[in-house]
Amino acid sequence: MALKSDLVAVLDEERVTEDPFALRLYSTDAGQVSGAATIVVFPESTGEVVDVVGAAARNGVPIVARGAGTGLAAGAVPTQGGVVVSTTRMNRIEEVNPADRTAWVGPGVINLDLSAATSVHGLHFAPDPSSQSICTVGGNVANNSGGPHCLAEGSTVGHVLAVEVVLGDGEVLVLGGPAPDPIGLDLRGVMVGSEGTLGIVTRVLVRLLPDPPDVRTLLLAFDTVEDAATTVSGVIAAGVVPAALEMMDQRMATAVENWLHAGLPTDAAALLLAEVVGETAAVEAEAEVIRRVGNASGARSVTTAADEAERALLWKGRKSAFGAVAQTAPDYYLHDTVVPRTRLAETMTEVYEIADRYDLVMMNVFHAGDGNLHPLIAYDSADPEERVRVLAAAEEMVKVCVRNGGTLSGEHGIGLEKRDLMPMIFTREDLDSQARLKECFDPQDLFNPAKVLPQGSRCFDLGGGRPIPDGAWL
Amino acid sequence: MTGAQSTATSAVPSGVEAVIPASVDELVEVLAEATAKRRRVAVWGGGTHRAMGHDFVPDLVVSTAGLSGVEVWEPDDLTVVVGAGTPVAQLESQLAGGGQSAVLPEVAGPATVGGAVATGTSGFRRLRYGPTRDRVLEVRAVTGDGRVIKGGGRVVKNVSGYDLPRLYTGSFGSLGVITSVCLKLWPLTESTATVRVSSPGAAESIHRPLAVLQTPGDVRVLVAGTGPEVDDQIRRLGGNASPGLDYPDPVEGTDVWSVRVPPSAAEDAVGRLPAGSDFVAQHGIGEVTFGVPSGYDVAELRRWAERRRGSVVRLRGAPNDDPWGAPPAGLELQRRVVAAFDPGRVLEPGRLPGGI
Repeated sequence: MALKSDLVAVLDEERVTEDPFALRLYSTDAGQVSGAATIVVFPESTGEVVDVVGAAARNGVPIVARGAGTGLAAGAVPTQGGVVVSTTRMNRIEEVNPADRTAWVGPGVINLDLSAATSVHGLHFAPDPSSQSICTVGGNVANNSGGPHCLAEGSTVGHVLAVEVVLGDGEVLVLGGPAPDPIGLDLRGVMVGSEGTLGIVTRVLVRLLPDPPDVRTLLLAFDTVEDAATTVSGVIAAGVVPAALEMMDQRMATAVENWLHAGLPTDAAALLLAEVVGETAAVEAEAEVIRRVGNASGARSVTTAADEAERALLWKGRKSAFGAVAQTAPDYYLHDTVVPRTRLAETMTEVYEIADRYDLVMMNVFHAGDGNLHPLIAYDSADPEERVRVLAAAEEMVKVCVRNGGTLSGEHGIGLEKRDLMPMIFTREDLDSQARLKECFDPQDLFNPAKVLPQGSRCFDLGGGRPIPDGAWL
Repeated sequence: MTGAQSTATSAVPSGVEAVIPASVDELVEVLAEATAKRRRVAVWGGGTHRAMGHDFVPDLVVSTAGLSGVEVWEPDDLTVVVGAGTPVAQLESQLAGGGQSAVLPEVAGPATVGGAVATGTSGFRRLRYGPTRDRVLEVRAVTGDGRVIKGGGRVVKNVSGYDLPRLYTGSFGSLGVITSVCLKLWPLTESTATVRVSSPGAAESIHRPLAVLQTPGDVRVLVAGTGPEVDDQIRRLGGNASPGLDYPDPVEGTDVWSVRVPPSAAEDAVGRLPAGSDFVAQHGIGEVTFGVPSGYDVAELRRWAERRRGSVVRLRGAPNDDPWGAPPAGLELQRRVVAAFDPGRVLEPGRLPGGI
């Protein structure tokens, strides 16, 4: 077929595959939905990506870029078929510039490898999703990934100074740059978090942060989830923005403790993991504030990691929590919504109530400081009836969060999973403006079609500005 | 860009019609009509940054003064929703009463919140807290053809849809008139100090200061934190400290320009300024603003900065043929994006790099 021969002509045969196992592997991510990749390619350079995009465009097939496939919202799932472009071989850390605290890296570089490679300069890449030992920087850019330490430092977009991007017509653009406030519109900011729908990012200029001179990591245990949530708000209200402020409920702590034996109290209703970084005097004072607020909010215990080994163990428990769920059920559905942190306590109460009502096993470990919930429902996907309940409960949880002033996704993305929920938070005009933006970058709708924006988002005539009457496009 | 130069205010040009919409609905009418009649519109906040970008003669000035005031302030969420026409100084003073800051330009004159966002202006404290664009959580705007739109949301972390707040930040009014924004706030620290040091390199002895600022007369490091932390930083910086944050005066000169280069080139940039010019250099950021008599030719400095993928941008002074220098990559894409939000191209026409 023309597509395959066109692709083999630009890449060698070994890097173009239609092997059924590979097609299956590259048709899913870590979430619930699978697609059907037509073909999978592994380019190693920007030039090769340009050629791949050209071949796909000539053959009229969609292009779905993919990093490590750790996404949960089907952002990298080829639901419309097409060429899956794996960026994992574009994994060179090309240049580290310690003086400017920047690095040019390929999109396939693994998140944790980047911080490991720059640690010799006392620098690190701040975004630290739980999947950081396997997820790629390109995937982080596509999803504007977060992680526990984004509470103080912000998500990926604040740590990407420039991206090199290949557009549908083969044009290669570097958007942004190493100097502050590049002139013109901030198209770099639009690319970050665009979930592969605008073009393919082929190189990334990341901003690195200096490693903090000191750190304190605290574990607080509470008899109720509400007390833990109140502590989260209380710490911020006291003027301390910790580097991380994570919550784990009893079920999750039990699952983690069962295999890790980190000494997590499993008889507490909720745990908070708080970390402060900076100068010694600062971390001591801030740790004291957290201890004081925790005690005032009813903490039954507040302990501080005595050394780096204890600290590492606590973080291992946090970041491997999702894997620990396997003890409970074969599958899990992991949610990602955000509420204003002052609404955390009441939202959690409602979320627990929904899980109970649908008779589901729910566990929670999440970025409490950001108000970023991750209700995790453990279930068995072989049971179709349970699956229906899982999805119905999930949608109700999103509705509760939106009703409480929140949003659909804090760090996992919209992808396909939440695409059709977008009208819950955006008007037709809002969605139309986003659809216009997509058209500017990708007029042929080549890149990751049918993601992020629901069908019919483009609801106005070009240039006329006259709305189509309500309901006409529904 | 810093607050250092933002106290020079342009006056609304005489003989040009000016309107002050009192509501979003009124603004919609004004802009729909402007598009229908193809009138060139200048969007007016405090008038402090009119010298940025290509000059044009407007048919209509639209002021945001009627879209003013704090709509929602949730101190425990560290967020505020504020009307675009609210003066920066007024917002910061109100927030300071609750021990918080939006980290907007500290020396703002009559600049407005909408103006600071539209021009992408940051304060001196960006070394610690990042640029303004990283704190715009939600933007509400009326497009050139009168569509009311919103991007982002009122939460501190959000990946729902394309990042319109960042796209609007620094768009100079070309994508629409911003009517309100939700900003992420930071708590003010217990203690602050300004420490004079002998050279910018001295600041490397401490972790993440608020700012490292050099003027013709001194180098100062702004520090913040708990009392003991600030005392410790003062000691390590040599002890020549005064309490509080002592920001440099606005840069003097008929024309004021901003050199933006990778941070490590800031010291080199200072060395390349014309002799005797006033300046403020932000070390660790890579911006140097400097003042010169009118007519100074920035071409050589600009060539040097652009070779380092930076720019030299006019902040203040008489109109000039080349306020931006070499336009950015992807000019056609930029043009398409502007047309998507302002099909009649009535808002600030030609002002952006490349004359878009």
